[in-house]
Amino acid sequence: MAVAAATAASRGNGGGGGRAGAGEASGARKKKGPGPLATAYLVIYNVVMTAGWLVIAVGLVRAYLAKGSYHSLYYSIEKPLKFFQTGALLEILHCAIGIVPSSVVLTSFQVMSRVFLIWAVTHSVKEVQSEDSVLLFVIAWTITEIIRYSFYTFSLLNHLPYLIKWARYTLFIVLYPMGVSGELLTIYAALPFVRQAGLYSISLPNKYNFSFDYYAFLILIMISYIPLPQLYFHMIHQRRKVLSHTEEHKKFE
Amino acid sequence: MKHYEVEILDAKTREKLCFLDKVEPHATIAEIKNLFTKSHPQWYPTRQSLRLDPKGKSLKDEDVLQKLPVGTTATLYFRDLGAQISWVTVFLTEYTGPLFIYLLFYFRVPFIYGHKYDFTSSRHTVVHLACICHSFHYIKRLLETLFVHRFSHGTMPLRNIFKNCTYYWGFAAWMAYYINHPLYTPPTYGAQQVKLALAIFVICQLGNFSIHMALRDLRPAGSKTRKIPYPTKNPFTWLFLLVSCPNYTYELGSWISFALMTQCLPVALFSLVGFTQMTIWAKGKHRSYLKEFRDYPPLRMPIIPFLL
Repeated sequence: MAVAAATAASRGNGGGGGRAGAGEASGARKKKGPGPLATAYLVIYNVVMTAGWLVIAVGLVRAYLAKGSYHSLYYSIEKPLKFFQTGALLEILHCAIGIVPSSVVLTSFQVMSRVFLIWAVTHSVKEVQSEDSVLLFVIAWTITEIIRYSFYTFSLLNHLPYLIKWARYTLFIVLYPMGVSGELLTIYAALPFVRQAGLYSISLPNKYNFSFDYYAFLILIMISYIPLPQLYFHMIHQRRKVLSHTEEHKKFE
Repeated sequence: MKHYEVEILDAKTREKLCFLDKVEPHATIAEIKNLFTKSHPQWYPTRQSLRLDPKGKSLKDEDVLQKLPVGTTATLYFRDLGAQISWVTVFLTEYTGPLFIYLLFYFRVPFIYGHKYDFTSSRHTVVHLACICHSFHYIKRLLETLFVHRFSHGTMPLRNIFKNCTYYWGFAAWMAYYINHPLYTPPTYGAQQVKLALAIFVICQLGNFSIHMALRDLRPAGSKTRKIPYPTKNPFTWLFLLVSCPNYTYELGSWISFALMTQCLPVALFSLVGFTQMTIWAKGKHRSYLKEFRDYPPLRMPIIPFLL
């Protein structure tokens, strides 16, 4: 969804969001990280996630080579994609218990929107699984997450290679629009099937006097993507600040 | 009599905004705010936060200059609280909306339901009863705003009116849509359920009103004194024995009973959201009571007796 795409970029790049690592954009940063036990756990978490998304990346490449085409690759990475993307829900917990200095609300938004796309759209509407738009966002997410989780891993170990930092704050320029397009096209493709099956919808009359139209809900979700270009340009602006700041530091080394 | 000098600096930029000389020692912060407005008319007093420390707490309007820990040249830091709007205005606006909006659905004004239903009336008694209860509730709130409540703060940030109105008006429309829908289904247990719910609703409305009156009587007109509320002769106020904010308890009861009366899920969801917000407020109020009063009754819980 809107925020899933924002996630693909802002989480991958810090942007203006309050995610770990984003503090660097503002220059001086108070180092008051999590305790040693929490740090160890977080390093393990981020390494596992990096590995997981690498598995997905490799799975995509292998499937492409085996099939000879890039269509319907979703099926070959469906399970690890669901597992590792859903696993990201833990990140909400990390913020809630304070071992990661990000906003619980923002993180929840970002993770939930990804989980929504995986389960409530792609998984639920089988007909869209063979759409090329799915590949579009899966690739965008995969690259973004590999970079993001390795960025966090290195940051926790206080040794962040410039390459990773550069990647995080640069690749979003392509990956962000790619992810957003993939997500929007997928939701759009799902619409007719949702309408036809009355998926997740309740109509009147019923004894709880309630109704819900999932089709209309999906349209609203698509509308919520509208503020994203604004966020995108903000992140490009942030990028200049972060990378030039690092360049300056490197000059003095 | 020694006069004070007061300089006002911007809390963020430390820029000198205003210099007041010959300020009376017994001048209040309110008076200083008025003087500041003269040189900066866009920052009317309710918009000003003056403090002794740029990151510290705001000084109160009643605070007297010579009682503050300052020398004869006092430095105050200013923060702009943003455009302000009076509490009364906000309350009146946010409560009038639901009153009217519900009626639009009740009378089935065109373009809401299908054309054949325009201006028709429901055949279910409970639908008419629900309209009376909902309207009564908001009329009561409006009257209390005008005649009962005594507000500690005069104003709140302007953006709150948009946030609050969206909440109240949005939920009112959502609930009213279903209750007044031509396909509305009356409660499973029929008249029994409706009568029980109505009884609870009436009790809670009376209870909530009693608490508002009791709180009003705690504070003389025009003052900002704070005292521990206690039960009075009115039995509805006896809930003070068990909770700090029985007004919220009764309010929750009103909405739960309304949900029961209409057997409408959106009403239940509205009650849940309201409950969450009121619990946050009740806990805050409870905490301030505990901090301010050493002898605060220990049995009391914030909003739900014994539990929460």
